[in-house]
Amino acid sequence: MVLILDITTTIAMLFIVTAGLMMIFGIMKIVNFAHGALLTMGGYAAFVVTQLGWSPWLAWPLALATGMIVGAIIEYLIVRPLYKRPLDAILATWGLGIVIGQLIILAFGRDVKFADVPLTGTWSLGGTDYSAYRLLLIPLALGLCALLTALLNGTRFGVKTRAVIMNEELASGLGIHAGRIRFITFSLGAGLGTLAGALISPLSSIDPGMGITWLVSAFMLVMVSGHSMPSLIATCAVFGACQVIVSTYASPVLGGLTIAVLAALTLRIRPKGFAHD
Amino acid sequence: MKSTYPLIRIAVLAATALVATQGHAAEPIKIGVAVGLSGANSVVAPAVVQSSELAVEQINAAGGILGRPVQLEIVDDASGAIGAQKAFDTLVLEKKVNAIIAMESSAARNAALPVISRGRVPYIYTSFYEGRSCNKWMYVNGWVPEQQVAPVVDYFSQKLGAKNYFLVGSDYAFGRGMLKFTKAYIEQHGGKVIGEEYLPMDGSDWTAVISKIRSTQPDALISATAGGAPNVSLAKQLKAAALTLPYGNLAIDEGTGKTMGDVATGMYMSASYLTSIDTPENKKFLSDLGQKFAGNLSTPNELSEPQYEAFFLYKAAVEKANSIDSAAVVEALNDVSIVGPRGVVQMNASRHTPLAMRLGQIQSDGSIRILETQEGVSPGIQCPNLK
Repeated sequence: MVLILDITTTIAMLFIVTAGLMMIFGIMKIVNFAHGALLTMGGYAAFVVTQLGWSPWLAWPLALATGMIVGAIIEYLIVRPLYKRPLDAILATWGLGIVIGQLIILAFGRDVKFADVPLTGTWSLGGTDYSAYRLLLIPLALGLCALLTALLNGTRFGVKTRAVIMNEELASGLGIHAGRIRFITFSLGAGLGTLAGALISPLSSIDPGMGITWLVSAFMLVMVSGHSMPSLIATCAVFGACQVIVSTYASPVLGGLTIAVLAALTLRIRPKGFAHD
Repeated sequence: MKSTYPLIRIAVLAATALVATQGHAAEPIKIGVAVGLSGANSVVAPAVVQSSELAVEQINAAGGILGRPVQLEIVDDASGAIGAQKAFDTLVLEKKVNAIIAMESSAARNAALPVISRGRVPYIYTSFYEGRSCNKWMYVNGWVPEQQVAPVVDYFSQKLGAKNYFLVGSDYAFGRGMLKFTKAYIEQHGGKVIGEEYLPMDGSDWTAVISKIRSTQPDALISATAGGAPNVSLAKQLKAAALTLPYGNLAIDEGTGKTMGDVATGMYMSASYLTSIDTPENKKFLSDLGQKFAGNLSTPNELSEPQYEAFFLYKAAVEKANSIDSAAVVEALNDVSIVGPRGVVQMNASRHTPLAMRLGQIQSDGSIRILETQEGVSPGIQCPNLK
């Protein structure tokens, strides 16, 4: 039972952490190396909320809002001229990640910070007491996945986004404002990144490097899953389950490598990964 | 009041003249301090510098060493090997110091030792470390694993009746080294290690490890992770999982325990120095520091306090040798002892010192309650090849 809960909560955490990157890298095809720094920002949003003495639940909307605003600024100033130069965008976002990290150090210092946790204690499930906060992440991940799928597949905005990504000139010819679509998608992706940072902060340390540890796994997962949210959650499910099983039955040191190794193997055998088109 | 001014002026002039003439006769003894003013150690460096300044001020106020004043030379070692090499070159070759007293990282110490050997300068290393670093010119007054592990395991097995232990660490030299020693110590004393798990150094997801702890149901948990992020994420995830077994943390210091707040409540730690040590020496040390640095005092800690003591050990050694000759001082350093804030310190155990070790438990307000003090815990034989 514990193993099943470990696997499901790990999947939920992986999905939450990668959803923002999916918007930017999976859908917009911008290799966003600043994703780690965005996660870190979310952790610090939780810290700021604690410092202000607000309810820890407010960390979530604050993180989302901060991320969207910062994302909008980044898109406008840095990423916009680079859509046609993806290699330069890699360097730009990588540098941006370093800059954001250093700004955080300047503002908050190098040391580990602590934020209040919105939900503590355990829930009893199938005879085992399990961390309530981890369990909470499961419905959150499912809800997030449903919302984003609905947004991308069920709304006008989603159709336009896909049109712009598939063929920007044709989309513009049909009267779609490509620049605005990219602007909104990027901001949303950045907002989801910082939201994820706030969501994982009760289980991780809040320090200037907190997001970096997730970066490689997140990229691997998005690369394998292509560009739809359901395939991302499927990838997270398969790889997350493997990671927990390897960590439990072999060793956590090997478990840390699982996602990277599996992703490399999958892409070698099936370059499209989990995408089915 | 105005009329007393000329008098004061004369007195000051006379004093200056006196100091000036004495200055000719008594050339200062130069003591070098290499410390990580920049880099990873920059968090603790200010406290180390304050300790050094306080020690030198007190020694000079009491007449110096052999009638000569002490002069402090502080240089930055950038917390690493390359910086340490430069720093020690500066101290030994350029400033020509008589001794070096330094709290540094292990990498910095290892890089500095060849410079020490070449320059033949007595060197007191004041940081706790993983042990077994030996050099003819070096003495150590911080703890080694032999001293830190024993109080935790002894308390768990004797007071809490723990038999089955689970060990958790980060996968690097300190983590593996500490836990290897811990395991051996537990098994020597009749306990059993029923689980030993490591996570990569930058790992922060302890899910599988925590489930294993839960399923094996040990009596106690002991961890040696890298400082900072892994240590904090482990504590948070243990708390989220509501695991309440006795937990000894070999990688936590007083300051971190304080900032962690309720995440660390109930955690056990062992240290040779804690600010809550209730002795006249420690109280005087704390109040002297408070007076000298009033507004910008950096809280003293396990790394800055041994730095303070080392100056008095050096003074005692020079006075015993009645000379600042390096070879004579190094010989005398083995024999002299002082009573400092941590208690008696004498570096006579193959260049290391037996220490009074404290077992502390972190309270909900972040303070550390000392549960037990083990006097004279031996560092074992660290340097069998040195006299």
